[in-house]
Amino acid sequence: MPKCTINGQEVEVKEGATIMEAFYKLNEGIAHYCYHPGLSVAGVCRLCIVDIEGNPRPQIACNTAVTEGMKVSNQGEKLKDGVKWVLDFHLINHPLDCPVCDQAGECGLQDQYMQYGKYSSEMAEPKVKKHKVVDLGPTIVLDSERCILCARCVRFTDEVSKTNELGLFNRGDRTEIGTFDGKPLDNNYSLNTVDICPVGALTSKDFRFRQRVWYLKDSESICTGCSTGCNVKVYYNKEGAFRVKPVYNEKVNGHWMCDVGRDVYKFVNREHRLLKGRVKQKGQATWTDMDAGALAKDAHKAIKAAGDKLAIVLTGQYSTHEYQLLLKNLPTKNVYHWKNQPEEWEKFDGLLYRGDKNPNTKGVEAAMNSNGIKSNWNDLLTAIKSGSVQTVLVAGPENMAVYNDMNEKIQELGAAQNVIWASACKSEDFDKLNTNAWLLPMKSYLEKEGSFINHQGLEQKFKKATTIVSEALTLGEASYLLSGQNIPVMKVAPIDTFIEADRRPDQVTLEHRKKNEFVYKRGSL
Amino acid sequence: MFQLSSEGLNAVKNELSRYETKESAIIPSLYIAQKENSGWVSKDVIHHLSTVMQIPESKINEVFQFYTMFNQQPVGKYHVQVCVNISCALEGGRELANHICDELKVKAGEITEDKRFTVNRVECLGSCGTAPMMQVNDKYYENLTNESAMNVLRGMK
Amino acid sequence: MSEVKYLTEFYHLNEFQGLEGYKKNGGYVQLQRAFKMKPAEIIEEVKKSGLRGRGGAGFATGVKWGFLPKNDEPRYLLCNADEGEPGTFKDRMMMERAPHQLIEGMIISAYAINCKKSYIYVRGEYDYPINCLVKAIKEAYSAGLLGKNILGSGFDHEMDIYAGAGAYIVGEETGMISSLEGLKGQPKLKPPFPAIQGYLRKPTIVNNVETLAAVKYIIRDGAQGYRKYGTEKSAGSKLFSLSGNIVKPGNYEVPLGYSLKDMIYGLGGGMKPGRKLKAVIPGGSSAPVLTAEEAERAALDYESLAGMGTMLGSGAIIVIDDSQCMVDMLGVLTHFYSHESCGQCTPCREGTGWLNKIVHSILEGRGRLQDIDLLLKVADNMKGRTICALAEAAALPVLSFVSKFRDEFEFFVREGRSKVKGTSYAQMHH
Repeated sequence: MPKCTINGQEVEVKEGATIMEAFYKLNEGIAHYCYHPGLSVAGVCRLCIVDIEGNPRPQIACNTAVTEGMKVSNQGEKLKDGVKWVLDFHLINHPLDCPVCDQAGECGLQDQYMQYGKYSSEMAEPKVKKHKVVDLGPTIVLDSERCILCARCVRFTDEVSKTNELGLFNRGDRTEIGTFDGKPLDNNYSLNTVDICPVGALTSKDFRFRQRVWYLKDSESICTGCSTGCNVKVYYNKEGAFRVKPVYNEKVNGHWMCDVGRDVYKFVNREHRLLKGRVKQKGQATWTDMDAGALAKDAHKAIKAAGDKLAIVLTGQYSTHEYQLLLKNLPTKNVYHWKNQPEEWEKFDGLLYRGDKNPNTKGVEAAMNSNGIKSNWNDLLTAIKSGSVQTVLVAGPENMAVYNDMNEKIQELGAAQNVIWASACKSEDFDKLNTNAWLLPMKSYLEKEGSFINHQGLEQKFKKATTIVSEALTLGEASYLLSGQNIPVMKVAPIDTFIEADRRPDQVTLEHRKKNEFVYKRGSL
Repeated sequence: MFQLSSEGLNAVKNELSRYETKESAIIPSLYIAQKENSGWVSKDVIHHLSTVMQIPESKINEVFQFYTMFNQQPVGKYHVQVCVNISCALEGGRELANHICDELKVKAGEITEDKRFTVNRVECLGSCGTAPMMQVNDKYYENLTNESAMNVLRGMK
Repeated sequence: MSEVKYLTEFYHLNEFQGLEGYKKNGGYVQLQRAFKMKPAEIIEEVKKSGLRGRGGAGFATGVKWGFLPKNDEPRYLLCNADEGEPGTFKDRMMMERAPHQLIEGMIISAYAINCKKSYIYVRGEYDYPINCLVKAIKEAYSAGLLGKNILGSGFDHEMDIYAGAGAYIVGEETGMISSLEGLKGQPKLKPPFPAIQGYLRKPTIVNNVETLAAVKYIIRDGAQGYRKYGTEKSAGSKLFSLSGNIVKPGNYEVPLGYSLKDMIYGLGGGMKPGRKLKAVIPGGSSAPVLTAEEAERAALDYESLAGMGTMLGSGAIIVIDDSQCMVDMLGVLTHFYSHESCGQCTPCREGTGWLNKIVHSILEGRGRLQDIDLLLKVADNMKGRTICALAEAAALPVLSFVSKFRDEFEFFVREGRSKVKGTSYAQMHH
């Protein structure tokens, strides 16, 4: 474990660590673009130069290993001047089109320019012309003129996704990244290249031109797309959620997440949501809207009337705490686990994406086990048919897109006399419920706190980001009302989200985004 | 669609097993394919080599576009490359290149109407003591004057 | 002092190209002698000889070999025959006239560093030299000089040739390794250095053609014998490629420390009638230019030229006479470096293009006076900040041309035409 001194502060790093890693460990500022902790070292942006005592020439921090007693500084005036020039070399052929660039506000060039910029460019020659608005594939658009050729994206497709779509073609200042002959950059991890692009060269088709980033807030959460449980940051404002990006967690997802996971947020927005409770009697063609709370109390009658003829159906889409509350408030052994395509559950793409498209399958299993419940789906169907189950409470999936048996289950469960269906989203399929039915609007994962247990049994807490449907209930809240109780005032201990261990600071610190946000708020006063 | 001839295919396979890694065969294989594709490398060529060599197109294309001896555009039967780097420039290499272009009525990089010639200005070819010089296909012609260069080219049918 | 015939002793004989003629003139005798020595003895002898890399960097060959790990890990020897430095054409002659001299030097070197596989990386444009080498390697294999148990020594060695495809940067040793690995010829990050991790991450030694050929003579004459020519720190003889505005351009072998003035006015036959010497680039296009006055007192060895702020480089002497416009010539060089930058490191990729644009702005009459100082600033800020030396190679000519011939640049900016030629750039070239 060698010790070194960075700008006068002593730090101990692990054997073989680079000076860059020592800077990261101290959270000490150092300009850099091409270095990314999840990729091999390219050493090409040349911004991370540092002075090492006893070495006549500045060295790059990303490719220099720390040795015992090394004294490193990036504070010398000459060195700082060098960094300014290297940064200016990045900018001389950059279009500086920030006002129309989607990256503006979270751009590595902008951010680092504030601190390390030369502020007086002497470039007076025509800039190199390169390809613009290149359709790279289903998810990404490339602007080659903005590209600073850090090669992070190329290294990503070579080393992480191992799909090799991208290359650096030509040489000198004519170099461009691209795919060969229009072959699309089309893999389930493609959007990570947008995340690691330090500039606006690669932009996400899903996100571009939809929001300025300084109009967005962010909150950390867990991806609910599959049982891996990637740590993510969700970006939202009062119009809803706009995008999801991965957050580093060594134990779960490293630096990355998959493209499927990035689309999961979409169902939480209002256009997909069940905004009010809905109720109808058997034989009625149309639903009647009802406030969620009143609806839950109304549904309580069906539960009470059923007595021990109540059955509960759980999906792996709720938090562990919600399952526990539900089973505590409505104690029954008639609990069944609705598994969507269980034959796929063991599938794994080798990187992150798993066949079990539920964030909390392990949570359902744990809740059932702790209540001593062993059940079989066919028993439920038989019981409904025979009338020994009269009322079914379904904790339905919030991400219905991954439940391709929705229709089938609506048919099967609709055979019961009363169906209370908790659902975050609306669906036309519910119209097929030909029985006494209550649709109870649920909060999505972004609107509540709790925890999921992922495929490896790791329990990860997540916190509430925002409220999108104010009337919606959590499954826990609903369980109080459904069991005839009132929702108690719950004292919520401040939850420290995620596992804090092994977390590194963001690649690009977004400090001045906050300033922008302040400006925005001031403007709106 | 470009396809290697059976000899070409054997030659590529031979190169694939010649070196420690198959990627080392990219440059030799591009040479083989370029020769069979009338002196230039089209997108088809890269697609075909990618299939034959089992190497991603992007990797072959990176190599292809890095090296100047692989032509990214069609060329004439005779590819005339006139050195215009410093030693040749001092001895009139640029004037020679202009003269050849004027005589053949083409701009640098273009093919003559009769498809016989492409003229290019290139960097040092390592023949500085015999400047000015040009390379026509594989062969060097040195100590040139405007007249002697044109005589060489006129003799090429 | 005059030209010496040490490495080039038999270059006038056509038969020296083939194995038979080469053997008739003392070929492969030193290989047999080397096999009787211990590898470590050969390395020691090369160290003592003071042989320095003849490709450009001038690094001590024996010391470089000494960096190899002291174990049995497989290693590679790579002969750098990419000869791309403008003005240089000596290696081409060596491969055409005496391919076996190189092969013998390589086998001895390989034996010294316990290497079982070597490559000769030749630039692709060198079609004829490649043919000469291919033929010579074939001859060597059939004569049992390559392959298993060479000459009954128990030493095995395989040799192959690899043709490049047109990229100056491949002459940089790690760029060459990348190219041989089938990648773009982009230099690799150092550390690790090639002697520790080179070709395919195995220890690799990269030496120039002339360097490897010289090893044979160190075996023949011993370290002391080899030092018969040259100076204390720049030992031996060296081939110089003389080109440009000179009466008798060509390759000349002289002892290191030879006078540049004698090279130009003696061996080179002097300036053309009516012309005066204006400037000399002494070590290939990357070396800072010398004025006529400086050139006339320069000596051709590593230390003397370094003392004058320039370098011996590859030994390419480019002579510029008083009819040449220095702004125009710098335009040729900046174009070359921006064309050849591999595009990896930002300061080089962007800087070479920027320099070229500024010089051409001046040439095309759009220059501003501040552009002259800007050239100096840009060049200065490219230096020493990149993976390889190309940025430096591009910056040094700019710094030296501008500072030594500033009047020509200022005249061009003010008048929009060349001080020397009297005409604009467009008039000069069409």
